Amino acid sequence: MTHTLNRTGLSDARPAEEIIVLCMVHRAEKIRKIEEMQKIAKTILKYKPDNIIGEPLGFGPEEIETMAPITGVLTAVFSDKDAVLQLVEEIKSQRPGVSVVLSGLFSDIHDVCACTGLQEHTYHMSLGIFGKTDRLPEEKTLEIVTQCGHSLISPHLVSAIVKKIRKGKMTCEEGARQLIKPCACGIGNPRRIEKTLGEMI
Amino acid sequence: MYIDQKLCEKCLDCMPVCPMGAIMVKDKAVVIDYETCVECGVCQRFGICPVGAIQQVDEIPYPRIIRAVFSDPVQTHESTGVAGRGTEEMKTNDVTNLFQEGKIGFSIELGRPLGGAYLSDLEKVVKKVTSMGVEFAEDNPVVQLITDRSTGSLRPEILGERVLSAIVEFLVPEASAMEMIDEMGRFIDSELDCVVTMSVISRADAEGTCAFSQRLRELGKKPYPNGKVNIGMALVGNET
Repeated sequence: MTHTLNRTGLSDARPAEEIIVLCMVHRAEKIRKIEEMQKIAKTILKYKPDNIIGEPLGFGPEEIETMAPITGVLTAVFSDKDAVLQLVEEIKSQRPGVSVVLSGLFSDIHDVCACTGLQEHTYHMSLGIFGKTDRLPEEKTLEIVTQCGHSLISPHLVSAIVKKIRKGKMTCEEGARQLIKPCACGIGNPRRIEKTLGEMI
Repeated sequence: MYIDQKLCEKCLDCMPVCPMGAIMVKDKAVVIDYETCVECGVCQRFGICPVGAIQQVDEIPYPRIIRAVFSDPVQTHESTGVAGRGTEEMKTNDVTNLFQEGKIGFSIELGRPLGGAYLSDLEKVVKKVTSMGVEFAEDNPVVQLITDRSTGSLRPEILGERVLSAIVEFLVPEASAMEMIDEMGRFIDSELDCVVTMSVISRADAEGTCAFSQRLRELGKKPYPNGKVNIGMALVGNET
């Protein structure tokens, strides 16, 4: 799945807005990396991500650490680039033999690599949206719905929440908390969504 | 998914939650339209219904189960022969080395970021790239749906199924990648009845930069300023 690839609204004019950290064990290695994945889960939680896999399903730290070696994947969103730097440094020191993919501005990712002594290995680049693009919602709604890599955030839900905020029945922060719920992978960024909602009302 | 009419209080709160717009009012009842629903399960997981009226059948029959496999990220259904919706693609490339220098990986994802896609459109893409002689990434559930590798035909019984998204992944020599981008862009715009994202995967060069990205820009392809980068963590400690 291309997952975190097609997020719209990020710009080099606004660096360090978000970085998503994905840690994945190759399926053939899964059985040998149980402790490593649990340790990585604990480490990610220590750096207080804005959202993490399983959290939208109501999972707490213990469940997230338990699930990590079973699913073989961990995903978390950060709005703090320094936290990502420290996290990557700490995972590196653990030598886990686990793949790490960073999603965000290529310039931010390059900074993280340069500061941690790592080097970009493989790039995945979006060329954009093709086909029936007249069916896409307006720009700000698209910025929110593309934060779920599985297209599970409904544009109708965005509209409904914007209406509630305009009527004073909900704050932007509460709206953002609602909008990250459909994305079980925990890659919806509540801070970015809150900001975008503020721009929409 | 369906709504238990004995429990439903017709508050309509569930309607905007569905990414496909499948929850609607018909004959004064709130229902999930069977054809529009892709079995992603969000309506139930979201916990929007205060009385638990949104329910799932005990077992989704084949071929409809294909919808759930390709639409619900928390579901895997081995009986279809499709273990999960996604792939590892470049995420574990520092282990698999699937994407090597001199080759460019393509991900063509139908139905994303909105609206879903019928698998008949997926078949059109698979047939098109098969005719162009690409090398499919085998670690992808779409490949398991192909019945004829010489034509790219999919299982006929699934073509009427609609999914939230499905990804066709393949590799081409770097020298023909730009031509592939242009050709697939034209094909998608003219032949498919859905929204599609197209993306490319390239190995970094020895300095960690991406010469292919630079070529894309020089040729006016406008890749996003953001994307995904495998940072080679799995190799730490194994350096020679």
